[in-house]
Amino acid sequence: MSPVETPTLVNGRSVAINGDGTTTLLSFLRDSLGLMGTKEGCSEGECGACTVLIDSQPVTSCIYPALAAQGRTIETIEGVHEGADLSPVQKALVATGGIQCGFCTPGFVMTLTGLLRKEPNPNADEVAESLAGNLCRCTGYSQIVEAAMSLSEPEEET
Amino acid sequence: MKFRRSSEIDEVLSFLTELGDEAQLLAGGTDIMIQLERGEISAQTLLHIERVAGMRGITENGRLTLGALTTHSDLARDPVLCDRYQSVAHAASLIGSWQTQSVGTIGGNVCNASPAADLLPPLLVHNTNVLLASQSRGERELPLADFVVGRRTITREPDELVTGFSLDSSADRTSDIYRKVGRRGAMEVAIVGLAIRLSVDQEGTISDARVAACSVAPVPFRAHSAEQALLGTKADKEHVDAAAALLVEQAEPIDDVRATARYRRMVLPRIFESAVTECRSRATKDLS
Repeated sequence: MSPVETPTLVNGRSVAINGDGTTTLLSFLRDSLGLMGTKEGCSEGECGACTVLIDSQPVTSCIYPALAAQGRTIETIEGVHEGADLSPVQKALVATGGIQCGFCTPGFVMTLTGLLRKEPNPNADEVAESLAGNLCRCTGYSQIVEAAMSLSEPEEET
Repeated sequence: MKFRRSSEIDEVLSFLTELGDEAQLLAGGTDIMIQLERGEISAQTLLHIERVAGMRGITENGRLTLGALTTHSDLARDPVLCDRYQSVAHAASLIGSWQTQSVGTIGGNVCNASPAADLLPPLLVHNTNVLLASQSRGERELPLADFVVGRRTITREPDELVTGFSLDSSADRTSDIYRKVGRRGAMEVAIVGLAIRLSVDQEGTISDARVAACSVAPVPFRAHSAEQALLGTKADKEHVDAAAALLVEQAEPIDDVRATARYRRMVLPRIFESAVTECRSRATKDLS
């Protein structure tokens, strides 16, 4: 009777989710899978440090139940690299000085990765709006927006 | 805590019949997970309904129906809502952040029944009915004002599931607007939220007026006396001021971490005046 469940993928690898109803996706990623790149900041879905992508949508993993992610495709900071290279978003953040202490960076990388996948040519307002749920106490945000804008492919002028 | 997942409405209803209030329904979890962690709510079983088939989406057939699992992101970018239910789309776009909007649902926002719920004023001005289903009662519809009846208090029976919301059909020479006051643009809980829907006749006289506010009382409410004061007018200053005074009179704001009651009483009439002007101007734009 029970249908075959769709596998849960974390960075392309099939995983079995464990935990009970209150286990957060963040805790599962860090404590069960050892993926320490996703950070715990506020624990209340306010700061965005724990942002991961679920089916390409950014989600604060600190308030998302691990078991709710069953059968879905999850991407974390550990999965964004391209071979031995950093991802374009990571490179842009390094180039513009969009990283200082680095604690918030994985969350910013994931949100920007989701944004550029959905909208390859965002303007500065769209970048800022997409980052509304990611807090950074170091950079003042300008360099982070600059990093995203350096990846925005302007549409051909006609 | 146990965790049960379902993707079929019928199965959810039988779980609810079996578990009643031992079950806590869970969709995107943006409120529930925080409240569980804080010990503000408790349950033996989380009933995960985020992916139940047929409960996410927007359909227009006379009235407008919003599935309970429609996310804030869905609402904010839907072309019908952005055109003719602007207050709903705009309010959804102001909830939390992208992360909140990508999983948070309209059903969750309504059932959480926060005094500051951004979607409640827009839904109230569209005369929204809540659609409920259960095995014992079948389907029923309740006006939103009879569903959200107190701070974090709703009249859902323990075996019932909110399946969606039914809004008034749109009308000619009609517009709606949502205004939110907060200290910043992101992750903000409203200090004051205000929705207005106005219809005008061929002469630009207001023929239907609906006003609702949140964060200025324990429950978001319709301001019927303010609505009456706008009816039959062209939103001239005298009548708008009178309506604003009636709105403030009906509000019962409190001092809290976000603002004082005094500030709320000061800002409410100001945004009311500007929102009425903007909304009427949009409603009259098709008059020749």
